Amino acid sequence: MLSQKVEALILASDEPISFEKLRLFLSPVDASKLHGALSILEEHYAGRGIQLKQIAGGWQFRTAPAYAGIVKQLWQTKAPRLSRSMLEILAIIAYQQPTTRAEIEAMRGMKVSSSIIGGLLERGWIKVLGRKDVPGRPHLYGTNKQFLADFGLNSLHDLPDSSQLVDVDGIFQERPTASKNP
Amino acid sequence: MVGVKLSEQAAITDLQTMLPDLPPVQLDAFEGPLDILLHLIRKQKMDIFNIPIATITAQYSNIIDSDLSLNVDVAGEYLVMASTLMQLKSRLLLPRPELDEEGNDIDPRDVLVAQLLAYEQYRLLAEEINELPRMHRDIFKRAAFPESENIERPLPLADLEALLVAFGQVLKRMTKEVRHRVVLESMSVREQIQFVIASLQGGSMQFHDLLHELRGREAWVTTLLAILELWRQRIIQVVQSEHNAGITLLLCVHDDKVLI
Repeated sequence: MLSQKVEALILASDEPISFEKLRLFLSPVDASKLHGALSILEEHYAGRGIQLKQIAGGWQFRTAPAYAGIVKQLWQTKAPRLSRSMLEILAIIAYQQPTTRAEIEAMRGMKVSSSIIGGLLERGWIKVLGRKDVPGRPHLYGTNKQFLADFGLNSLHDLPDSSQLVDVDGIFQERPTASKNP
Repeated sequence: MVGVKLSEQAAITDLQTMLPDLPPVQLDAFEGPLDILLHLIRKQKMDIFNIPIATITAQYSNIIDSDLSLNVDVAGEYLVMASTLMQLKSRLLLPRPELDEEGNDIDPRDVLVAQLLAYEQYRLLAEEINELPRMHRDIFKRAAFPESENIERPLPLADLEALLVAFGQVLKRMTKEVRHRVVLESMSVREQIQFVIASLQGGSMQFHDLLHELRGREAWVTTLLAILELWRQRIIQVVQSEHNAGITLLLCVHDDKVLI
């Protein structure tokens, strides 16, 4: 009974619906029972055409990636390809946030065009978190909730493993003495 | 320049004969100087901790020289890297301290190598982010809720950021008109407040339709200020049904209910 109610709420919600909201709408309900209902549903939808996923801190039904090809036919427009520069800048902001434009430029050795920052802001993937307390008071950028929702992440911890972000300074401490021929 | 074995390059001093047959590349295929250097290093399987600076410098210069159409803005960054490489090359040729106080190696190339490694990691992460199942490319959600007359849906409220993004789009679209007559029109926020209220008397209105009735940057900016003021005083409400959708303005009535 409870899992049917939960199912209806998740389907009807425009945005991923949070656990707290579900709990509020179904009150009085036991948190553990609600968890139970959610895992029943999750299991029920595993391997179906739609999946129940935890996205940006809420629950949402979404189509399984395997059927993207046929589902796409419903719309005339195609999702635009993202340019390499946009993806790189987005990646740097996602892992380094809060970060400034100058820091992104230093990382890429290349100017960051305003149109890319504008494009990321317009998509709602990044936002201005504040200003850095250095001369010029540049904007500090970070990712937005829409970024998590569009890339299917529940939180920033779900980003592709950043443990591969080796500590570059560390490398130089450990490396064997390299032979000296330029 | 034909068929020089890469491993033998270090022994050869003539720069021209050092250039191997690299497949021709277009500068605009690269995301900047670091991207080019990584391409050269990885393609030729060079040891990143022991970059043959002379070879790399020659190959790098070759690539940037091949594109003279480079615009000045971008060219600057490529040239800065070229000069960094030249400087490194000369520093490696001059006598220099080889160990620091703690007995560690001093290699003038370290700063560049650190920069390359850091950038390479982000280049990789960007690819991985691109491969995540993405909304509207790989994943879709329910498109529309079947509207029922009995259901009252709360109006989703817009935020300041959404209004400013929409304003930016209006400016971009409308400033494409070229106008030559220069007249000084002074507008006041107070007047525009009256204008906005009058326009909304007849019912709700799209933000960009409202601005379309006006001409000139000053009028748009003054009207935006008027809208912000009315919003702050809760005289109007600003509604956006979904991310990036149009923004609707409507008057509030006193008991905080929405007048549609």
